[in-house]
Parts: sequence; C-alpha cells; structure tokens
Amino acid sequence: MISILSLILLILLVAVGRMKGLKNFLCFYLNYFLMMIYIMLMGYGINSIFLSFLSCIIVAATTLFIVNGDNIKTRSAFKSVVLVLVIMFVIIFFIGNMANISGFSSEYAETIGIYNKDIGYSMKDLIIGVVLLCTIGTVIDTALSVSTALNEVHINNPSLDMDGLFRSGMNVGRDILSTTINTLLFAFLGGLVAFFIWHQAESLPIVLNGKAIAQDLFELLSCLTASVLVIPITSYITSKALLRS
Amino acid sequence: MKLLKHLIPAFICLLLLILVFNDHFLYDAPIVKITDVRQENEEGLERYVQHISGIIKNGEFKGNTVSFDNTATRSQVYGDNYRTGTELFVSLSPDGSLVTSVIGVKRDKYIAILFVIFLLSVIYAGRIKGLKALLSMAVNMIIAALAIWFYINGFMGMSVLSIFMIASFIFIITSLCICNGFGKKTLAAAVSSLISVLISFILAYMVIAAAGSGISYWTMDYADVIHDYKGIFYMNILISGLGAIMDISITMASSLNELIEKDPSISLSALKSSGRSISRDIMGTMTNVMLFTCFISVIPIVVLAIRNWMTLPQAISSYGELEMIRTLTSCIGIVISIPVSLMVSLFILGRRQKHD
Repeated sequence: MISILSLILLILLVAVGRMKGLKNFLCFYLNYFLMMIYIMLMGYGINSIFLSFLSCIIVAATTLFIVNGDNIKTRSAFKSVVLVLVIMFVIIFFIGNMANISGFSSEYAETIGIYNKDIGYSMKDLIIGVVLLCTIGTVIDTALSVSTALNEVHINNPSLDMDGLFRSGMNVGRDILSTTINTLLFAFLGGLVAFFIWHQAESLPIVLNGKAIAQDLFELLSCLTASVLVIPITSYITSKALLRS
Repeated sequence: MKLLKHLIPAFICLLLLILVFNDHFLYDAPIVKITDVRQENEEGLERYVQHISGIIKNGEFKGNTVSFDNTATRSQVYGDNYRTGTELFVSLSPDGSLVTSVIGVKRDKYIAILFVIFLLSVIYAGRIKGLKALLSMAVNMIIAALAIWFYINGFMGMSVLSIFMIASFIFIITSLCICNGFGKKTLAAAVSSLISVLISFILAYMVIAAAGSGISYWTMDYADVIHDYKGIFYMNILISGLGAIMDISITMASSLNELIEKDPSISLSALKSSGRSISRDIMGTMTNVMLFTCFISVIPIVVLAIRNWMTLPQAISSYGELEMIRTLTSCIGIVISIPVSLMVSLFILGRRQKHD
C-alpha cells in the first residue's frame, strides 16, 4: 500500500521535476528515515526535546544545503530557521508545561489499554518535542522562499539599501502568508473534523477543553505562528547578509 | 494617533485574554482552581499521590474550598499531574463539599494565549494581507463547522464524504477569492485546484480500494464508535492536500500572469519552461511540509508501543500506515497540480490576451 503510493509519487515527481524531482523524492525519504531514527532514539530513552532540536537542525541542513546548495540564500535561511526554532521552543515549552497536554486522554483508553503505562519516559517532554518538530517543514519552506526572492531582488536592484531590502522581503512574505496558512489549516482540518464528529454527543465546551483537541491545536497554532514569525526574521537576516557580501 | 491605531489589535487581544481567563461563568460544570498541592515525592517511584486543595470558581458553591487526592505518574502517559493554578472541571457531591470525580483540565486559557500570539504576529507582520488570511481562515472554519453540523443532523442522508466534497468546492472558491480577489488569475487557480483535487482523490481512492481490507483501519480510535469510519478517512485524504494544491495553483497562475503582463509577446514554450521551474522549486519543500505536519501525530502512540514490547517497524506499519497514506496522497496531489495548473492557467490567461 505505502510502497504503491510511494512508487506513484516517485514516477510523478520524476516526470514533472526530472533530476530535481528525484532529489526531492530522496530528500522526502531521507527526512522520513531521520524521523524513524528520532523515534527509535526516544525508544531508547533519550530526551525528546534534545532530539527534536537535533532533528530539526539536521532536517534544515539537509533540505537547505543538499537539495538547494550551499550559498548565501540557504545560509541565511538556515540561520533564520534556527532562530525561529529557539523562539518557538520558549513559547511551546512554557505554555505546554502549564497546559497538561502530555499523554493520552480517557477516550484513548481502549487504544492504549494493551500497553503498560509506566514507561519511564516523560510524555510531557515528548509532546513539546513533537510540536517543535511539527513546525520545521513549514519554517524551512517560508524561509527559503523569502531568502530566494530577496536574492533575486538584490541581483536585479543592487542599489537597494537595508531598509528597502527588508521591506521587499516583508512584501514577498506577505504574499505567501495566506497560502501557507491555508496549507497548514487544511492539513489539520480533517483530523479536527473527525474529532468533532466522534464527540458529537458530548457537551461542546468540555470537548473543546479536552486533551486531544488541545494537542492538535497546539500543533496547528505553533506551525502557524512559526511560519509567520519566520518572515520578518528571514527578511532581516538575509538583507543583512546580502549587503555585507 | 497613528500609534493608537497600531495598538488596537493588541488591545483587542488583551481583552480577549482577560475574558478567557475569567470565563468560568460560561461553563455549567463546576470548576476548581487548585490553590495547593502536596505530594509524597518518593524518588524512583513511577506513581505517587498528590493531595490537592482548591477553590470552586463558579456555580452555586462558588467560593467553597474542596480537597481531594490525585494519582500522578512520572511518565504522564495517562492522567494528569496537577500544579498550583491548574483549573479543573469536576463533579461535586450534592452538598458541594466533596469532589466525586475530575472531568478534565480547563485548557481554554492556554489555547487562547497561543492563539493571541498567532493573531498578533499575523496582524503586525502581515498587515492587510494578514487580516485577509485571517478572514479566509475564519470563513473556512465556519464552512467546516456547518458541514459537520449538516452531517450530524443527517442532512438529506448524505455521507460525510459527499458533504465534504461539496465543502471542498466552497473552500477553494472562498479562500482564493478572499486572498486574491475576483479575476482571471483566481479563476485559473480555482479551476486547476478543482481538477487537481479530483484527479489525486480518484487516484488515491483507486489505490486504497484495491488494497481493500489490507489497511489497518483498526488503529483509528473511533473505528468502533463511528459507523462510517472509512468515509471519515476518505474525507481526511480529500481535504488534507487541499491547501497545498491551492498554494501551487495560485502561485502558478499569478507568476504566469506576471510574465504575460510584463511581456505580452512571450512565447508559449518560454512560459511553459518558467512555469515548470517555478513549481519545481516549491514542490520539494511542500512535500516536506506535508510529511512533518501529517505524520507527526503518530509519534506518541508509536513511542508508547516501542517502550513496551513492539519493535519500531511493527509499530510504524500498524500505527503509521493511515497517516503515511494521507501524507503520500497529499504529496501526489501537490505534484499533479503542477502540470494541471500550468495547462489550465495557460488556457485561461492565454485566451484573455487574444481578446484584449
């Protein structure tokens, strides 16, 4: 099943993108493989937050430097990604710690019933790490778009100063803002719809305060916030780097 | 004056936060705010008891203090560890002196803080375009809520999949129109999104139907609660990639439009090759976005399973299968939308040239 769909994806990617498509496919599975290592190391009991940071940095480095080459665009995108991750970590860590979103809520009792729950591994750190890792895809996407566009602007108009460059970076970012928000919203919407249909008989205020929905909303809102925050940060870092060179 | 105008969003957000932090009167269930936690914290023990005291914040027993015990676990796989300041929904005994059971933690204020951070960053970084994005997000949420309402109330006996097929059509039209206005560009993007969604969904449907019962539907937590769990899964597959497909379609339509406007005599082959190179750049990062946003939710259950007795390949192949199918079909939709949007945009935008 998975292999048939993967094969279809590979054929389509190569048909549409040729060499770059093949590279994309390999990068996709490299990231999948990295995620497997991430899960495996968690299984060995290594702290999830530390692993998340490490995975995010490796994913950013491979996606940016291997697929898109080592240059001033990708280097400033990489710096921006790291900075956004640190900011998001502070937000997610403090709010996530207070909100009791770790583990499984009572509606999953049957799903996890066959397992021993005293696993000696902090589910609180795990969910914070997972939410952090969730943001990395969209942060890289936006950072790369903004820095690539800024590089084009700089080449076509070398006389533009810091202020002008930053402003055009923000303009590019604003143009992709709505589509990025849409992409993320729909990626999560199906799960939320299923959840509300599942809990249709219960009182809505209690369902909205539930743990499972809070986890989903944490992931969605963190992705959204990160993809917005990365716009001014990348504009600033890339403009500075371009002017220095 | 200008400064004042800039402060309006911050002010509204502050009001929203104050409201959510004091919204106890909106809930029927009694809420207890924890004022003190004492725990016998023995080193190395997985489970320990928390002695909780708290104050009732709403209802007829407002102001009463109650105390109860909670079993906390160090791993926090199941149940919660409470701390001072946590608010809980509880059931009370008839005289309001005893907590008979804890229903759950009140999490609305934490969600509200995150939401306000998002709101402020969108408004201050995105300005008017940020507001438009928020508007389209709100409209889409309302459409989704209506669709759920129609389904739950058995509207014309429609299945969840058919209701969301209609909803997808509306999602595409409203999101593209709100963010890009009415025009040929939006029309081209809407038509190509519809075609791409349709093609990729039919493709996914055929592959999944061919696999038949080989799919691990049992890992869906609601498989024995919701009768039409397959319909829910198909609905999820249908709308997961919707945003990404719209993204590619509108990017393609607006960049081709830009090229045609700058140089009306541009040749068809030049348009085609720049369209392809633009989309090749975005499809790689987009497939990664789908991987990280869709696949991530299986991690907690997989870690629980492998910390017990499962091996990683076992856990992934059972718990990860559905989410991987969702991720891959969304990616297939993204790739399909590139040639589709290129052809549709050339057709719709190219025609305008002849008439102008």
